[in-house]
Amino acid sequence: MTIPQEWLALEKDATLDAKGLMCPMPIVQLAKKVKELKSGQVLELIADDVGAKDDVPAWCNRTGHQLVGQEEEGKVFRFYIRIK
Amino acid sequence: MADKFCMVVSEGSFDKAMMPLIMGNTAASMGMEVHVFYTFFGLKLLKKGVKPKLPGLWRIGTGMMIKKMKKVNYPGYDEMLKQAKELGVNFYACSTSMALMGVKESDLLEGTKVLGASKFLDLAADSKTTLFIG
Repeated sequence: MTIPQEWLALEKDATLDAKGLMCPMPIVQLAKKVKELKSGQVLELIADDVGAKDDVPAWCNRTGHQLVGQEEEGKVFRFYIRIK
Repeated sequence: MADKFCMVVSEGSFDKAMMPLIMGNTAASMGMEVHVFYTFFGLKLLKKGVKPKLPGLWRIGTGMMIKKMKKVNYPGYDEMLKQAKELGVNFYACSTSMALMGVKESDLLEGTKVLGASKFLDLAADSKTTLFIG
C-alpha cells in the first residue's frame, strides 16, 4: 500500500534540499542529516541528480531507514524517509 | 558489525585521487567501514599539500576540470579529503612504497597509518567489497 504523497508531505519533520548537488553529495548530506533526527521521524529529501533516483532507495536498503514515499516532478525527485 | 569496504589505489593522478574519495565517502555514508590502501604512485596522494593532476596529456586540462567542478558546486579534492576524515574513512600508506619512494611518515597526512600488505589483506579478506583503483 502506498501512502498518499500529500499525507507524507504533511507528516515530514524535516526537509533536506539537495538540489544542485551531484553524486555522491546528496547521499553524504543525507547521512549527515539523518544523524540529527530521531527514530520514527520523517525526512523529506529533494534532489535533482539523476543518480539519486536509484541511489536513495539503495542507501535506505543498506542502512535500514524506511523509504515510505518517492515522487518525481520533472527533473526533481522527492523522497520521504522514516528514520529507523 | 558494519560491512567492510576496501580499496587499493596505485596511481596518483587526479582521477585516481578523486575516485576512492567519492566511493569511500559514499560507502561511509551508507554505514560501511572504509579502508583505503595507497601504494606505488598512489602513495604520493597521502602527502601533505598535494595537488594531483590529470594523467598524461590531459595534465594541462587539470585547471579546466577543477574550474568545471567548481561551476557545478562539486567539492574539490581537499574538501573531499576533509569530508572523508569526518566520515571516518581509514587511510593507509604501504610501508614498502614509502621506502621505495623515499616518503617519510612525517610527510603523510594526519591520521594516516603505515601498513604492510598482510594487515591490509587481513582487512580485505573480511570485506564484502574490494576495489582496485589503478
